[in-house]
Amino acid sequence: MEARLSHIDRGEVLRYLGYRGERVGAAAEEDLARCEALLMQTARPRLVWKLFEHSADYSLNGCAYRPGGEDIRLLLRDSAHVVLLAATLGTEVEQLIRRTAAKSMADAVILDAAGSAAIENVCDNFCADLERELAPCYLTERFSPGYGDMPLSDQRPFFDALSVSRRIGVTLTESCLMIPQKSVTALIGVSDKPQPRRGRGCASCPRADDCVFRKGGKSCGLF
Amino acid sequence: MDYSELYILDGAMGTMLQAAGLPLGELPETWNLSHAEAVTAIHRQYVRAGSRVLYTNTFGANRHKLSRSGVSAAAVCRAGVRCARAAGTGQTLVALDIGPIGRMMEPLGDLSFEEAYETFAEMVEAGKDAGADLIVIETMSDLGETRAAVLAAKEHSDLPIWVTMTFEAGGRSFVGVTVPSMALTLSGLGVDAIGFNCSLGPAELLDLLAELRRWTDLPLIVKPNAGLPDPATGAYNVSAEEFAAAMRRAPALGAVMLGGCCGTTPDYIRALCRAVEGLRPASAAGNGCRGVCCAAHAVPLNGVRVIGERINPTGKPRFQQALREGDIDYIVARAVEQQESGADILDINVGLPGLDESALMRRVVKAVQAAVDLPLQIDSSDPAAIEAGLRACHGRAIVNSVNGRREVLERVLPLCKKYGAAVVGLCMDENGIPKTAEGRAAIARRILDAALANGLAREDVIIDCLTLTVSAEQDQAAETLSALRTVRKELGVHTTLGVSNISFGLPARETITAAFLTQALGAGLDLPILNPNTRAVMDAVAACRVLSGEDAGCDAYIRRFAATGNNAAEKHETPDMTIAQSVMRGLGAETAALTAKALQTMSELDVVNELLIPALDAVGERYERQELFLPQLINAANAACAGFELVKQSIARRGGGSVSKGKILLATVHGDIHDIGKNIVRVVLDNYGYTVIDLGRDVPAETVVSAALREKVGLVGLSALMTTTVGSMAETIAALRQSGYTGKIMVGGAVLTESYAAQIGADYYARDAKAGADIAKQVLG
Repeated sequence: MEARLSHIDRGEVLRYLGYRGERVGAAAEEDLARCEALLMQTARPRLVWKLFEHSADYSLNGCAYRPGGEDIRLLLRDSAHVVLLAATLGTEVEQLIRRTAAKSMADAVILDAAGSAAIENVCDNFCADLERELAPCYLTERFSPGYGDMPLSDQRPFFDALSVSRRIGVTLTESCLMIPQKSVTALIGVSDKPQPRRGRGCASCPRADDCVFRKGGKSCGLF
Repeated sequence: MDYSELYILDGAMGTMLQAAGLPLGELPETWNLSHAEAVTAIHRQYVRAGSRVLYTNTFGANRHKLSRSGVSAAAVCRAGVRCARAAGTGQTLVALDIGPIGRMMEPLGDLSFEEAYETFAEMVEAGKDAGADLIVIETMSDLGETRAAVLAAKEHSDLPIWVTMTFEAGGRSFVGVTVPSMALTLSGLGVDAIGFNCSLGPAELLDLLAELRRWTDLPLIVKPNAGLPDPATGAYNVSAEEFAAAMRRAPALGAVMLGGCCGTTPDYIRALCRAVEGLRPASAAGNGCRGVCCAAHAVPLNGVRVIGERINPTGKPRFQQALREGDIDYIVARAVEQQESGADILDINVGLPGLDESALMRRVVKAVQAAVDLPLQIDSSDPAAIEAGLRACHGRAIVNSVNGRREVLERVLPLCKKYGAAVVGLCMDENGIPKTAEGRAAIARRILDAALANGLAREDVIIDCLTLTVSAEQDQAAETLSALRTVRKELGVHTTLGVSNISFGLPARETITAAFLTQALGAGLDLPILNPNTRAVMDAVAACRVLSGEDAGCDAYIRRFAATGNNAAEKHETPDMTIAQSVMRGLGAETAALTAKALQTMSELDVVNELLIPALDAVGERYERQELFLPQLINAANAACAGFELVKQSIARRGGGSVSKGKILLATVHGDIHDIGKNIVRVVLDNYGYTVIDLGRDVPAETVVSAALREKVGLVGLSALMTTTVGSMAETIAALRQSGYTGKIMVGGAVLTESYAAQIGADYYARDAKAGADIAKQVLG
């Protein structure tokens, strides 16, 4: 399956920008459209994935990596197979954002938000393609190292299991953060039963205490 | 080694180890110690299949990847060589295999050149001790990391060095390295063979090999994958027979070393041996286009190439101030500006008395190559600074310069050879600049001879016949041109001239400079050093490229004048608005024009305090009231910045002090690389008139502490995005408090809250950039 970037969701870009309902204005609309177009043009989305059998003891066949934590066990409860996915917009986007920052921080901030929306789109497209390819099946939500009780350090064995660096050029820092930053790793359960969408809600958000959206009686829509 | 016959390499190691029971995701290299027999058995299968060169199972045997394994890189490398040696026959060559470290290099990542170098050096030492016959550096994506590995191999052994990089079908590596850049850089460094491995199947990789052949005459290596793996079964989609059939084309393209990468097995190597039996590699003589490059862009030296001269402190008080204050952003902006004006190569000169030139050179080269994709010319008279620049430069550079003095030639030419740089030779010596063309040509000849004796090629020598100021020595312009013709015709070398110098002291300098440039280009100048921001001069270059036929179809010329045909728009009339309005709307050029006008009647300090800051305050209030959103706030800050820049220039011109409202130190804490929030804060604080010292991202606590004390800052701002790195923020705060730092600390970042900020000992929590500016005002005034 090819990595596909088809669309950048304006609403999502605005949310990443901390948009709180201001009038966006024609000039800013233009900036947003220009940066989104530039990002679409620059991104070279790439992905690598692998399908594993998922055993009752939570191991993946032939794989040294065993996903840790209760949350992932709950998520994969009904799944006989698990897909490991790593996707990225490439160093092209990373470079674009860093170089733009030297000239126009405003554009860089919009590109950064557009990049976050874009990599989500790549993952959404992958899941749609995957569901078609493996049909009939039901996919769980995507779950990534660092979510819930799965330690971020799971990134490392995850990377080794998929040869992520070799296949799509994404690397980890010593603290297990991904470079290029607009990259995603995810586990996706493949089940023969419909899977619930678990809205995690504001309660699970680390910024719930002082969220600017909640203060205004709104939600950022991300959780 | 004799490269007139084919060398059959081996196939995949990882694929074979997995078949032997290595779980996916476990480090294969540790098996050199724990399952040495299994590793040797795989090597033996390859020897039986026909491999003459065995790559040791040490691809990832570096201290970074092995850090959690409990074994040392040296032990794994030594064991790896032993495992291969045990399988070989008398003719088998054992190649110490070095793969990428697994972290991204600076500037995108957190791995420094120096750290990469040390990591590779450890592997090289161990492999050499254990008796490896050669060193193979493979699967590289980053030219900087590749250079670190090559230099480590060269400086820690005398073994032959083969290098293969990994490219995508589009002809670039994951980090944007091009085939010509790879070829020019690695050929320059003097490695023994180059090529490609991994990522693609044989058909696609051989297409890239044909492109590589055009840029180098080194023996070529090709080690493709067996196509692509199936995500469900892991099986690769190119069979051994298909693989071997495709590889039959390789020797004719100049491939001397042939093998397989991911997914290939002894069966593939056996089929490969049969397929290429009796074939010989095509001769490479006469190949190899010369040029200079950075990692993502090569500039062949086969036409007029403009070298931008603006990164140079000579006669530029504002630039000198930037160097003294370590304001690298200002220097980088000069690089970006010259690239946009059409420079092909950038000269980098950071020599200023009293400053550490080597350290500055290293820093500026790194910063400039992070910002622009242009080859660099390292400009210094200090060999240590030249070497610092060459080491940091991830491409093939030019050294500016040597001259006819023997001791200079003896010290600098070996550096050019070692790093594969081209060199500028000035036609002067201990007796000064000869007054006659013959005298200058004689020195040029001496420089060329010395360069050739040091192993440089004629194409790598660039002679500067020296421009003298025509208003002072009028007859010398003709002598320079005459010397230029002689050097070009008799020596057949490239030539350069700092053309701007011709017009010094005269009115309408651009007119003289452009006329001289035109004549010099006619006399054979191909690498003019000039100010690319000067319209008339670049117009002359564009015209000369048309007349020489280099600009085929006059395309570039037509585009240049179509794009800038309407000159009226360039006039800077003072716009009909106030600074408050221009800042609010984010209009930089207008703010600059209005600031320039205000500076005619007001002091710099008054312009800052009465116009620029109040304008920013008004923007901030509207942001608070949610009438503006983040990009608009930043745009406004940037517009104000254009005004501040004029104020700084005005002060630098009269040699005055700073209008800074105080010093603030910013850093994204150790372990965190998400710095966009910190960068926004920097832009806003900068534009409020504070001096911001930005330590960057992933900054260790001790670096923050020492900088805070050294710079005597009143406020430190720390950012962290991840819950996992907030701990490192707490440590940094604790270290600051213990150090005796008496200023305030503010913190910000997505996962922080007011209460958590207080809990880890911060004085302030900055919700956003505007809040950061408010805190700065409260602390520093």
